[in-house]
Amino acid sequence: MYMIETKNLTKSFGSLTVFENLNVTVKKGEVLVIIGPSGSGKSTFLRCLNHLEIPNKGEVFIEGEKLNTKNRKHMRNTIEKVGMVFQNFNLFHHMTVMQNVIEAPITVKHENREEVIKRAKVIIEKVGLIEKVDDYPSKLSGGQKQRVAIARSLAMRPDIMLFDEPTSSLDPELVGEVLGVMKDLAKEGMTMVVVTHEMGFAKDVADRVIFMDGGKIVEEGMPDEFFSNPKEERTKMFLNKVL
Amino acid sequence: MLGGTRMDISILKDMFPVLLQGSLLTIELTILSVVFGTLIGIVTALLKLSKNKFMAGVAGFYTWIFRGTPMLLQLIALYYVLPSIGIQLSPFQTAIIGLSLNSGAYMAEIIRGGILSVDKGQFEACKSLGFTYLDTMKRVILPQTFKIIIPSVGNEFITMLKDTSLVSTITMSEVMRKAQILSASTFRPMEAFFIAGCLYLLMTTIFTTVFSHYEKKLSVY
Repeated sequence: MYMIETKNLTKSFGSLTVFENLNVTVKKGEVLVIIGPSGSGKSTFLRCLNHLEIPNKGEVFIEGEKLNTKNRKHMRNTIEKVGMVFQNFNLFHHMTVMQNVIEAPITVKHENREEVIKRAKVIIEKVGLIEKVDDYPSKLSGGQKQRVAIARSLAMRPDIMLFDEPTSSLDPELVGEVLGVMKDLAKEGMTMVVVTHEMGFAKDVADRVIFMDGGKIVEEGMPDEFFSNPKEERTKMFLNKVL
Repeated sequence: MLGGTRMDISILKDMFPVLLQGSLLTIELTILSVVFGTLIGIVTALLKLSKNKFMAGVAGFYTWIFRGTPMLLQLIALYYVLPSIGIQLSPFQTAIIGLSLNSGAYMAEIIRGGILSVDKGQFEACKSLGFTYLDTMKRVILPQTFKIIIPSVGNEFITMLKDTSLVSTITMSEVMRKAQILSASTFRPMEAFFIAGCLYLLMTTIFTTVFSHYEKKLSVY
């Protein structure tokens, strides 16, 4: 069984087709990195995986469970297993770091507050922000915010983590701290799908790289081969520009 | 100076307790109607934003009526028309219902605007974490909405405080009605309305202070 499987996934906005008939699978513990120019449909594809965007056609299976818009409760329960990290963090502005991290396990899973706090401390420690637990997001740097966002997702004990350009809105000197946390996660065996422009991260951490352009998967491969010996002309052109 | 007569301090002293008592009713009416109005406003705003066209239409019709007609007319309608269809309410009940419905229509628009100005990413974060719609609203969106709308709510509160004077038309003895009665019975309009004016200023000042304190408290994030 795949952790994620899409079958003929198609998404369009009005008359604009973003992508058509995408079939992608992700295995347990695999780190899949999706790269490609802006407007290639990679973020929209990622957002379809937890139905932040509802695909027009095709299906998404999470651990074998089909996401079904008609059965909201089943869908929520399935999506709980999928953590998501956004480009703009989307932390809850009115909550401290600790409150951000414990909110979902308490509200969504109705877990015991004391136990969640205990677990949250471990997670916040792991992302290196234990001294910030009582600060509001407005007091944090971009890199710190993104690390809190990762901690908030991890508190739900997800099986899969989706990253939507997690470092794209960060100052260059803050990118490293976020990528560091993501590398640790990958080492621990987390199944991850990462949309990014960080080629270094893709080379070091990815198990598989997908290059998307114009709503199509142009090329797919192991990072070593993908970066040193790309087969498609379009991939070569893109890599020449960004590397 | 009014009509050649000076303001009489001893008359002021006599009138003050009566009008103070009236202003307690004013405060009671204001707080109750804004609290109920807020609850009505939250529900109405959520209905207006919902995908259910019928419920959105009902909510739209309600705000259309209550924002589009004078409150004086609404109060008179409730007080004089409802009995004719067999609903008998006391003046106080009529006042609370009328003021709350009116306030609710304005609050609905304030709250709807507040919800719309919350960053879309907050909804997406909730959805990705598995929140239900109600939990999303209750735990994340509405708390942030309140921070945004506090100045407008303060404004609504003060408008309502002054508009409670309209319930004098349905025989409620709030501060304005008491001032009218006193001025008529003593032929001293200047003293009566001077005190009434001072009491209104005092009340609005207190509420303004409370709201700006609350606003500061929420500005920590």
